[in-house]
Amino acid sequence: MATVRLHSIRKSFNKTDVLHGISLDIASGEFVSLLGASGCGKTTLLRIVAGLEGVTQGNVEIDGRDVTDLPPEKRDVAMMFQSYALLPHLSVAENVRFPLRMRRIGNREEQAEKVRTALETVQLGHLAERKPRQLSGGQQQRVALARAIVSKPKVLLLDEPLSNLDARLREDMQVELIEIHQRLGLTTLFVTHDQEEALSLSDRIVLLNAGRIEQEGTPAEIYNRPATGFASNFIGSANLISAEIVAGDTGPVARLADGQVLVLAADETARGAVTLALRQEDLVLSADGGGPRARIRTRVFLGARNRYVMTLAGQTLRALAPNDRIFADGAEVSLAIDPARIRVIHE
Amino acid sequence: MVRSVPTWLRLAAIVFVVLTALILLAPLIVVVGVSISESQFIAFPPNGLSLRWYQAVLSSDAYLGAGWISLQIAAVVTILATLVGGAAAIAIHRRQLPFSELLATAFLSPLVLPTIIYAIGMLMFWSAAFGPVTPVVLALSHTVIALPYVVRTTLAVLAESDPFLEEAARTMGANRLQRLWFVVVPQCLPGLAAGAFFAFNISFDEAVLSLFLRGPTLTTLPVQIYGQLEFSPDPSVAAVSTIMIGLTIALIAIIERMLGLNRFASA
Repeated sequence: MATVRLHSIRKSFNKTDVLHGISLDIASGEFVSLLGASGCGKTTLLRIVAGLEGVTQGNVEIDGRDVTDLPPEKRDVAMMFQSYALLPHLSVAENVRFPLRMRRIGNREEQAEKVRTALETVQLGHLAERKPRQLSGGQQQRVALARAIVSKPKVLLLDEPLSNLDARLREDMQVELIEIHQRLGLTTLFVTHDQEEALSLSDRIVLLNAGRIEQEGTPAEIYNRPATGFASNFIGSANLISAEIVAGDTGPVARLADGQVLVLAADETARGAVTLALRQEDLVLSADGGGPRARIRTRVFLGARNRYVMTLAGQTLRALAPNDRIFADGAEVSLAIDPARIRVIHE
Repeated sequence: MVRSVPTWLRLAAIVFVVLTALILLAPLIVVVGVSISESQFIAFPPNGLSLRWYQAVLSSDAYLGAGWISLQIAAVVTILATLVGGAAAIAIHRRQLPFSELLATAFLSPLVLPTIIYAIGMLMFWSAAFGPVTPVVLALSHTVIALPYVVRTTLAVLAESDPFLEEAARTMGANRLQRLWFVVVPQCLPGLAAGAFFAFNISFDEAVLSLFLRGPTLTTLPVQIYGQLEFSPDPSVAAVSTIMIGLTIALIAIIERMLGLNRFASA
């Protein structure tokens, strides 16, 4: 367990800047997700913390010690790779023992005990003598996790560890990761492009966009109060609609391009051209219930819900609506949305 | 719908396969046949059956001495070629050296260079630079022509390996030497074993270099066989050849079993 402090990290590959001065403080025992689309620099940042990648500028501190120039083998970190990177010629138990052996932690019996405990933590005690290739993807992944936690590293780094699993296994593993984190309290840095994963696992989410921190905060903060258009679009895939805020009869309203208006919360102070973030699940559709009118282009059946793709004031809008009422393609519907759920973004 | 293969093409394929097998195996059958002949002369089919030529080979100091020399040289070549070729393959695979493409080509070049040219060159170079040739020179030359096989087989297994294994080992605290020993070499092992097998065989039955670089006391088995054929041909040549075939088959079986087991164990 240790703190991690990144101080204005810059990284360029062949004169192309990948990270533009990232500063981040991670508390001891905190679970932080680096969330972003591919190419945003999240994996590079993780590799910099591991020591697998150098920095162009800035420094990395682990537990108060500057480790910027320390190679990975001398930093007390463990990293779980997307490909799991299990050593194919070693058994499961030997793989898990590997970090203990390399770091000379404990004697043979103590190592065997730690390996047993780690394998039991991921419920693989019975497969200790197998070779990695004799295991399923999910089992290999657990072995990689056991290997990462066996030496109780100061920092646990996870590089999209769940992305190669099918949906069901991924959910199981998420629960397991939460439980293991609660039990061991390891400072954890988790890289993912999956917003749901980040929302469900993290104490804090750091949203990265093109090598910069777009927003950071608790999952609830990030979800409920996205600071920018990018954040609201990335988290919860909100609709971004341009509008102009004007004073209406009873308070501020947002006027759309075609003159229709959306009522905003009374305490909204912004005026002029803005972007509105409307979450798909917040839009309520009705045949004629007042509010702006939109035309339905396509309906996608999702089982419990339907996704409607609509045109509103010349812009495309998506809405998630319950299954009890079906609207046909081409139909005109009324949109209602709780003014408190509308995010106004100043660009 | 997939159209079935026409009959004539099917027949042609069978003929092709049979011819290939015949041309590959017939010479060996003839050699084995001659080796068990009673006759004084090399003739096929054999006249009468006897193992007298095997007895002659096994009690001949010339054959046994040459065989012993060949074995010693092949052993040295196997060790040298495996060490050097393995190291070269690892270095080439990492692409961290400047000119690693060029190096790869250089290490494979003995494959395309005519051995006889290399033999003449080596003889002239060594005589000019260091004086008379010794068994060491022959072992070195054999190592050179065996290197491409080790490099290729090792590169082949490295190409299939997970490129993140070494990085993973670094994050687990393994230093450079530990990574080499615990991660890289175990991955190379099947390639190194196959390469070592090739190296041994290439040295053991190499005749051209051995002819050019032989000394008064340095006669390898292929050179001995060649000399015997030239000056007093008799079925002992066939007998010793059959022994060599047998040894090679045994070696293949051992390697296959080892590598097979290795694959099985890590499968």
